[in-house]
Amino acid sequence: MAHHDWLGLKKELPPRRRLLLTVLSFVIPIAIWSVVSYVPWIWHPLIHITNPGEVDYFSEGLDIPKADFTKELGKAKAAGQQLPEGYAVNPVYLPAPHKVAAAFYTAFKTPPRLPNEPWLHESLGHSIRTIVLGFLISSLIGVPLGILCGTYRFFARLQEPFIEFFRYLPAPAFGALCVAVLGIEDAPKVAIIVIGTFFQQVLIIANSVRKTDPALIEAAQTLGASRWKLVSRVIIPASITDIYTDMRILLGWAWTYLIVAEVIGTMSGITLFINQQARYRNFDNVYAAIAMIGIIGVSTDMFLSWLGGNLFPWKRNTRSSVKKLSLFNQGPRKRLSGGLQSGTTPGN
Amino acid sequence: MHSSELHLPDYREQSPAVADRFRRIEARPVILDVRNLRKSYEANGINHTVFDNVSLSIHRREFICVVGSSGCGKSTLARIVAGLDESTGGEVLLDGTPVTGPGPDRGMVFQGYTLFPWLTVKRNVMFGLKMGGQSDSIAEAEARQWLDMVGLSKFEDSYPHELSGGMKQRVAIARALANKPRILLMDEPFAALDAQTRGQMQNYLLQIWRKVDVTVLFITHDLEEAAFLADRILVMGANPGRVMEFIENPVPRPRHDDQFLSPEFLALKKRLEEHIHPSSAGNHDHIPMIKMTDAGDDVE
Ligand SMILES: Nc1ncnc2c1ncn2[C@@H]1O[C@H](COP(=O)(O)OP(=O)(O)O)[C@@H](O)[C@H]1O
Ligand SMILES: [Mg+2]
Repeated sequence: MAHHDWLGLKKELPPRRRLLLTVLSFVIPIAIWSVVSYVPWIWHPLIHITNPGEVDYFSEGLDIPKADFTKELGKAKAAGQQLPEGYAVNPVYLPAPHKVAAAFYTAFKTPPRLPNEPWLHESLGHSIRTIVLGFLISSLIGVPLGILCGTYRFFARLQEPFIEFFRYLPAPAFGALCVAVLGIEDAPKVAIIVIGTFFQQVLIIANSVRKTDPALIEAAQTLGASRWKLVSRVIIPASITDIYTDMRILLGWAWTYLIVAEVIGTMSGITLFINQQARYRNFDNVYAAIAMIGIIGVSTDMFLSWLGGNLFPWKRNTRSSVKKLSLFNQGPRKRLSGGLQSGTTPGN
Repeated sequence: MHSSELHLPDYREQSPAVADRFRRIEARPVILDVRNLRKSYEANGINHTVFDNVSLSIHRREFICVVGSSGCGKSTLARIVAGLDESTGGEVLLDGTPVTGPGPDRGMVFQGYTLFPWLTVKRNVMFGLKMGGQSDSIAEAEARQWLDMVGLSKFEDSYPHELSGGMKQRVAIARALANKPRILLMDEPFAALDAQTRGQMQNYLLQIWRKVDVTVLFITHDLEEAAFLADRILVMGANPGRVMEFIENPVPRPRHDDQFLSPEFLALKKRLEEHIHPSSAGNHDHIPMIKMTDAGDDVE
């Protein structure tokens, strides 16, 4: 029965299975990470020295490759010296899950080493400001232009070939130019996000607008809709949910441009924080900060998805029981069977 | 053989009452006049004719059906009348004025469901009224009346995706009628519905038509549907598309389901079938018998 079929082609899974698989998608990588971190005989290529013994280049707290440790241990044994002691560890760049989990809290409490360096929350705030500003500026021009191109072939022909070309130019390539024109502070960073978002935005939104069902436009025409009303009352509402989804995807892409943008000019925001923590070898903070970008991204998207459901009630898939209600109470028709009807195939 | 053959009257035989009906219809003013309409299009440098020389006059409150096999240009005809397509010859006159583009004086109901998914049922019906510059409150009151007429008052705040196919088409009819069009164009509006719902919708449409001052041009490929609904039936032929016959329907009004077995109905249907499938009589002889398993030959 289909009920037992986990691998049905294109079949939606029941909600409980969906939830289970969603949880698993996170649990599996974390489990692998935990095994590598907590099971001492899996990987753990280094020995963390707790007691250097009489090996001269060992010192307490030093991480030594296993092979070197075994060699020195053998030598010390042969010479009858005090033996070095230690336990197997992973490299510092792979902190254990509990350390990274703790860093989600401690990273906020780690004070900057220099007075002019930002705290984590300041870095995050700075990054979010850069993204939001870049995305807003891009959308302010990109959305209307996309709708215009999607609606009128004239504007599509006039704009899209150039935009299509420009979108292949990698945004970071404009970094030096942006710094030369806009200075080294936030402006060039916002500009990179705008360049990275805008061109895709115009094309994607134009495509969504073009997908408007022409039958809806024709229906509106037969109802007396004028040219401008066709755009404002049919084409835009018909594509608004697709545009909204496009914007969610584009916002996700904007985040991927963020790190590139923040190294331009003076490094700033979350990129600066990550770089500094890496330099101080606080890799737990590094992972926590990277994960925070993901968490901010996913939770923003989830919020926008929830908001979309409220903004566009006609897209909610609550098929009510209305379908089963029949307002007709007539008996079955005394009709000759379908075989006696015209045998032509239905035209359109 | 001989005994089983039906003795049908000629399809033109009409009771005096029906003949009188047609006299009265013809005395009414002509709403839509299609004169020598021609549509051709060019593809790969070749000129294709969809149809040529299509003429018909439709009188006020008349119910006209257009039948014909697939591809003979029925939809194209409706679209030209609606102003959504341009003809390549002849003219379409609405109340004596040539049609140049789409307008609210010609309402259209399409086969596909073309309700606006982002508007509630009530807002859908209000759409044309708002386009015509009506205020919200007047449009709303009128929309409520139309929804009442199609029996969907309870669903005024539902969205189209919550409705069944038949209900959607009733909203589409209400939406088109709310504009008070001179003529209602319907292009196979019930073709996508199941047989039972289609039958209900046909009864329903006749009830509405009786109550509302509207002229109907109804496209269908279902011959029974045409015979059940129409005053007159325009039969079109294909390759090239042309008018074969303009038939006066002898079945008396008001129509009801019992008439499906009446002699007039059967005679009319037979006549329509002769047009649409001229050689259907001997067709089965050409179907070869395919043996799959040896189950014996006594299926009949
Ligand atoms: N502008 C056009 N370009 C190409 N083909 C067309 C055009 N207009 C009509 N046709 C063709 O004309 C034929 C008639 O179509 P249609 O009116 O939909 O027939 P029906 O509704 O009777 O099935 C179809 O084969 C269609 O492809
Ligand atoms: Mg058609």
